[in-house]
Amino acid sequence: MKSHTDYAKYDDEELIGLITQLREEALAQLYDRYSRLVFSLAFAIVSDRATAEEITLDVFMRVWQKAASYRSDQAKVSTWLTHIARHHAIDVLRRRAVRLDQFAVNWDDPLPNHESPELDPQGFAELSQQRERVQAALAQLPADQRQALVLAYFNGYTQREIADVLKQPLGTIKTRLRLAMQKLRDFLHDEQDAEKKSVKAQSAYNIKEEE
Amino acid sequence: MSKETHVLDLLPAYALGSLDSDEARRVEEHLSSCLVCRNESNAFQTAVDQLSFAAPDAVPSSDLRDRLMQRVQASRPQPRAPVQVPARSWLERLLPVWSLASLLLVVVLAGSNLFLWQRFNDLEVATSPGGMRAVPLIAQDPTSRATGYVLISADGDSGALVVDGLPPLGENQQYQLWLIRDGQRTSGAVFSTDERSYGGTRIRAPRSLTDYSSVGITIEPTGGSPQPTGPRVLGGALFNP
Repeated sequence: MKSHTDYAKYDDEELIGLITQLREEALAQLYDRYSRLVFSLAFAIVSDRATAEEITLDVFMRVWQKAASYRSDQAKVSTWLTHIARHHAIDVLRRRAVRLDQFAVNWDDPLPNHESPELDPQGFAELSQQRERVQAALAQLPADQRQALVLAYFNGYTQREIADVLKQPLGTIKTRLRLAMQKLRDFLHDEQDAEKKSVKAQSAYNIKEEE
Repeated sequence: MSKETHVLDLLPAYALGSLDSDEARRVEEHLSSCLVCRNESNAFQTAVDQLSFAAPDAVPSSDLRDRLMQRVQASRPQPRAPVQVPARSWLERLLPVWSLASLLLVVVLAGSNLFLWQRFNDLEVATSPGGMRAVPLIAQDPTSRATGYVLISADGDSGALVVDGLPPLGENQQYQLWLIRDGQRTSGAVFSTDERSYGGTRIRAPRSLTDYSSVGITIEPTGGSPQPTGPRVLGGALFNP
């Protein structure tokens, strides 16, 4: 078995390719890159460490078994992972049949600063930047819009359910969600473009290197 | 599509998955035929995808990685003793590798039994009674023992590739399947073979596989190339549209 660090040189898509060949080291590397993101998302949704860890395991087992179904033209690997994690976690939440009439996450609390060894320090630095960016975007929203958005994304509520929980007219919730999403989209739009250009430039560079 | 029927107001909630099912269905139907709304929808979906980063940072237990790798180990099939009969071992090893290929093979075998395999030997396209086709691939180099089949569903929308006798390549190279139509080559799959020189993968194409006249497999840099650059190792004729 190759040492773990050998796989750090592969980008996410290359790791997926190696996983389709059943290389366990590639899965371990992908885990080191994204387990924290996946676990944080699952934990924010289900509010329970043990369940969030089970979901995290399920997500990476699914990658192990279904890597061949990944389509790079449809989503980045990290997006694919968080899609699976979110849908799985919301399914778990729904199966519990008890939907908390409160946020899974208290957005007013400062973020905890975990003292833990980093599995992938560079990845963690990038993740922290992404977090700051998105949290800054959320912080710009009026509280009632942010509340509706959080209930939709992290609790998997429909607009109708949000209206019930918040005891507001459905039309009001629709408006809040629409405005929140438009602002979020505008705020993140420019940086998305910049990121895509950077990814494309990196891909072109990698292809050239291989030639 | 007229402006009145656009679903722009529903797209933010659609991207969040927060529409009721009848509204979501309406949006999906509309998106299938409206480029304007599809572009808008994609932009909202990109924004929603970013929300995963809004989850407060939390760290899983340090033993979770070991638990994952244990599950991976447990999910691996137990090694088999080598099987002596070549045709049988080919199938036996293929079946667990790749579910679609195995499904197609099971269906084809159930439908046509020996008929299909007799036709394989004649290097002709075999068609099962259900309309599924199996196209043999032939090595370019007559001394090569490489062989393979392209399996195509009756409607031409799904396809599978299985190869034998293509040796595993180094880390920097993979095999790539090309679908050929009017001299244009489109990538249908990038794949690797195992230490026994076997491999299988699903074929993905922008159009029905019945629209292509032939296929070829070349050796390319890992991840594949936009157009073939390496030597052709296998090829076969599909259809004459």
